Amino acid sequence: MMALIEWLVAPWQWGDWMWRGMLTVHLVAIGCAVLGVFLYLRRMSLLADALAHVALPGIVAAFLVSGSLDAPIMLAGAIVVGLVSAISIETLASRPNIRSDAAIGIVFTSFFAVGVILLSTVVRDAHIDTHCLLFGDLLGVSDRAMFLVVTVVPAVLMLVVVFYRWLAVSSFDLRFASAIGIPVVAVNYGLMTAVTVTAVAGFEAVGAILVIALIIVPGATAHLLADRLITMIAWSVAHAIVSSWVGMYVAIAVNTSAAGAIVVVGGALYLAAFLFAPRHGRIVMLLRRRARRRHDITPTS
Amino acid sequence: MLANLYIERAREFFYFQYDFVAYALGASVLVGIVCGLVGTFLVLRGFSLIGDATGHATLPGVAGAFVITGVQHPVALLAGALVSGGLGALTVGVFSRGPRVRPDAAIGIVLSVFFGVGIVLLAYIQGLETGRQAGLEQFLFGNAAAITPGQFWGLVVVGAILCAAIAVFYRPLALMTFDEAYAKAMGINTMALEIGLLAALSVAVVISIQAVGVILVAAMLIIPPSTGRFLSGRLSMVILWSMVLGGLSGALGAFISYLFAGVATGPAMVLAATGFFVVALLFGPQGGVVTQSIRRRRRQASVAPGGAS
Repeated sequence: MMALIEWLVAPWQWGDWMWRGMLTVHLVAIGCAVLGVFLYLRRMSLLADALAHVALPGIVAAFLVSGSLDAPIMLAGAIVVGLVSAISIETLASRPNIRSDAAIGIVFTSFFAVGVILLSTVVRDAHIDTHCLLFGDLLGVSDRAMFLVVTVVPAVLMLVVVFYRWLAVSSFDLRFASAIGIPVVAVNYGLMTAVTVTAVAGFEAVGAILVIALIIVPGATAHLLADRLITMIAWSVAHAIVSSWVGMYVAIAVNTSAAGAIVVVGGALYLAAFLFAPRHGRIVMLLRRRARRRHDITPTS
Repeated sequence: MLANLYIERAREFFYFQYDFVAYALGASVLVGIVCGLVGTFLVLRGFSLIGDATGHATLPGVAGAFVITGVQHPVALLAGALVSGGLGALTVGVFSRGPRVRPDAAIGIVLSVFFGVGIVLLAYIQGLETGRQAGLEQFLFGNAAAITPGQFWGLVVVGAILCAAIAVFYRPLALMTFDEAYAKAMGINTMALEIGLLAALSVAVVISIQAVGVILVAAMLIIPPSTGRFLSGRLSMVILWSMVLGGLSGALGAFISYLFAGVATGPAMVLAATGFFVVALLFGPQGGVVTQSIRRRRRQASVAPGGAS
């Protein structure tokens, strides 16, 4: 027991990277988890996929235009390119021979390809490399990355609290929401902007692609466990916190990418919920079906 | 001065001065053709992004095969990719069924969690002594120039078998694509056909990842078929256009990547495909933006009283 506690405490004494990493990943994961619930309910999970990929060309474009990688400039570039891509997706999807999923696939892969090419040619000297883009760097969070996360995520969460009613109503029933005068288009683009900003904030710490997992998986897990929006958000945040802690320690123990480990733990939690959730888990459903069948048969025999 | 360099490089490319150029070109064209074929069925069924999930899901297979065998043997790596990519595609299918799971979320979950497993394995490999020179990163964005003659012919054979299999099952596939209920009523085993299509997708992705990389392979499955839809209203013609334009994009991508140092084959190929798409989106005979507005104006002119005189 003592050994376990010692093992848990030890990393915190090895320098300040542990609390920096923990603080960063908790903020990013919680922000993503809260936004992810609304995206999930709106069936827009894959837009998170698109926006997270598009953050890369956004940051690169900002660097090309301004020559700097200061936090506000990175955010501005990513927001502009993110909104451009969201509008392109919607415009494309409005054409009769393009489905919305194809529109997402066309737009974000093209943007991402531009970003990768620029990164390997014109802006090779910028300090964003494909390594960081993919793996993230949670055990060595830079001052800039931490500053971004600490300012952006609380602001996003505060906005969610302020506009909670609007978000909730429009996520469940878009037509009703617009009938009672909620500006649904503005709410929609506001949500997309929030996702982009959070993805950019988490970009350096957890990598562009693993951010997608932090957005989609907690909300999907919560939907297996909860029947009300507020409990769903609570489960989603709980999922984020548990996978951050466990993933961080797993990464230290096996010496691997912390962001990757957190995502894998999150995936395992989803699988557990998928199978064992008390009301909507597959095992309970199977037992219930069997019980019903037996119940149906007994009276006649 | 700089222009001379590019002209020189272009000449090298077109005269096939180096053997590897021919194989890189061939492999890129093959990717375009195979993905264009398989992708058409996915796009028309509204499953476009399942290709994205399958592509990302091959990463743990590639890295896992390296961890198990300890060497970078292409057949082992691709076999690993096939196993984990196929598993990813099937998982999307399994998770999408039933209540409380949204199909779009299932795609996102498989995509990101499988990729996470791959990243964990990659980071682990980089910590190993042999890992530094493993060069597995080239699977992320593709490096067609690294394909050896032996691998190339292997890919051609597998690709040919895949195309033949789809040709054999063309009728039932077409039927299922447009009207699944009718296909079922006709006695077609749609479940088996669906699994077959997912298997074909996994094979197409595995053929492609050396040239385009796991992240962007989805683009080659989605963009050429979407282009084809603007060029024809018939399934057979959409497939043909999609394969031709996919192959052309592959060739252009290989050329651009040879011309400019540092440009990976995958992104270059994707941008070429996007270029074709934009042209078709504007000028395609089937619902192209400009085509439509010209047609509308003509119709208005012939209807308006002024036009009759």
